[in-house]
Amino acid sequence: MTTTDPPAIECTGLSRTFGEVRALDGLTVAFTAPATGLLGANGAGKSTFMRVALGLVRPDSGTLRVLGMDAARERDEVRRRVGFMPEHPCLPLDMSAQEVCVHLARLRGLGHRDAVRRASEVLFAVGLEEERRRPVGTYSLGMQQRTKLAQALVHGPELVLLDEPTSGLDPAGREEMLQLVRRLSRDLGVRVVTSSHVLDDVERTCDEVVVLRAGALAAQRPVAVGHDPGGAVHVRVGGDPAEFAAALAPRLAPLGVRVAPTPAGDVGISAGTDAALDVVRDLAAEQGRALVRLVADGRGLEDVVLDAMEGRGERTGG
Amino acid sequence: MSGPVAEVSSEVPGGVSGGGAGGGPRGAGAPRAVLHDVRYSRFTGALRPRRSAVAALVAAGVRRPLGLRRSAGSKVWPFLLLAAAYLPALAVVAVPLLVPQVDVQPTELIGYPQLLATNSVVVLAFVATAVPTVLTRDRRDRVLSLYFATALSRAEYVLGAALSAVSLLLLIVLGPALVLFVGSIATAGDPGGWFAEHVGDLPRILLASLVVVLPNAALGLAVASLTSRRIVAVGGYLAVVLVGPVLSRLVAVVVEADWPLAFDPAGGPVLLATAVVDGAPAPQGALAWVVWAALVVAGSAVLVGRYGRGGDA
Repeated sequence: MTTTDPPAIECTGLSRTFGEVRALDGLTVAFTAPATGLLGANGAGKSTFMRVALGLVRPDSGTLRVLGMDAARERDEVRRRVGFMPEHPCLPLDMSAQEVCVHLARLRGLGHRDAVRRASEVLFAVGLEEERRRPVGTYSLGMQQRTKLAQALVHGPELVLLDEPTSGLDPAGREEMLQLVRRLSRDLGVRVVTSSHVLDDVERTCDEVVVLRAGALAAQRPVAVGHDPGGAVHVRVGGDPAEFAAALAPRLAPLGVRVAPTPAGDVGISAGTDAALDVVRDLAAEQGRALVRLVADGRGLEDVVLDAMEGRGERTGG
Repeated sequence: MSGPVAEVSSEVPGGVSGGGAGGGPRGAGAPRAVLHDVRYSRFTGALRPRRSAVAALVAAGVRRPLGLRRSAGSKVWPFLLLAAAYLPALAVVAVPLLVPQVDVQPTELIGYPQLLATNSVVVLAFVATAVPTVLTRDRRDRVLSLYFATALSRAEYVLGAALSAVSLLLLIVLGPALVLFVGSIATAGDPGGWFAEHVGDLPRILLASLVVVLPNAALGLAVASLTSRRIVAVGGYLAVVLVGPVLSRLVAVVVEADWPLAFDPAGGPVLLATAVVDGAPAPQGALAWVVWAALVVAGSAVLVGRYGRGGDA
């Protein structure tokens, strides 16, 4: 992937109504990250968005481009270069995983030999090697999900759309699916757009999160890797916080760290470096105070996403 | 993208010595489902033209109703029907071949019209039970959203389904007739001469088979496209082909004329096919052909209408 690649999905003013329901309401967004998580409550428009991207649903207005191609007009080319994993069960239950993958590969235009080879490859990649000859109907839900993922990859797409890939899985199956999805963009060079209503899933598998609410963009933010170790912190101590702050300020000043009260009545420290935190600890010990709480300041991804999903937050440009 | 990464697991569970019979590398402490990407690569080969995809769909559509690559149980009924369809032709061919004293041509024992007539019951049973699975399984398992999302267009799917049904029925209708034809060559005293004399039968056999196959395929698929449950499709089709003849005969008796017989959806095509293979005019004339064409067009229209406007769940 290079920076000159077109966005995985890019849409402008996308709207679609089903009867009274406005599923998409003037959505304008571009997915440029290797893996983008589409987050939103049920009915926020995630599935409709994916169906428009696949050309299954025509938008009432607006345009949508997939890998730079018009989703409605260049359907054949989009089909060729995109894989899709639907949310609901969609596998022929009397076929084996191997047959499903070969069949789908053939339908997408691969020759028989290529189809068989690719089916083995992708089934191996999703960890379904030994069970691949059993009928899909006898699989656990996790295995069926992995078969669905395998068929989405069998023709070597540049982009895969995953609709709720962890839906209905038990913790172990969910863990495996998340690792697979993370690997797609990180190791296998496949661009990923995955929908979910669980932030944790998106944080662990994607580089960027896009929050939809009522069919419109509510937030778009990169998923921060790790946390900022030198960021501001809030300290809550036993006793009078003002007294503690007054004693702390001169000791932290040489380190270039400022002290200020927080709205919650705690002691705000402008930089939580190791040296600064050592000073806080030592002062608390000297004064015989209890250190009740020490937390990083700043609103995490979770706060932003929750606010966006509930319509409180402001749009944060990505 | 970097190329495929060859990764070798170094996670050998500690303290395993010998492992014992059947002891794999997965000890109790080994994590589940660790992925080692040694084979995955992006497919970069050229894709075949779309007709190759339709051909693959047709092949799958023919295999499924016959129970091929399925459990033994799912083969029983379709192969019983196949046996019933082929048995008359095979028998009249086998007897002169195996018993030299019998000096009679297979086509004298049973002609193409009789073969079509005796097979018509098998065709009805086959259309009722096997043809709907071309469509109903895909709807029941909700495979269509997968197909239409990234694999096939709706038009390709409808074409594939129609070709599957026609191929299946040709197997039942044309197959036995061809066995009879080839068997007659083999048992003839002068095979070359017999073939030269009768080669003109082949187009008529093919045409007659299509006359039987097309309306049945159209009707079977139309009924199947309206439901995701096979049993409903079977019932619906049987209702049409069992009630239709009774009604048409009833009307024929009431009006004291033969023309209502042309509206018999089960027997009508067979009568037409018999006329085609005999080179005789159809009993109910042009009206029978109009009904036949209407059946094919209406069946196809239902199928196209059903899949053309959505219904991918």
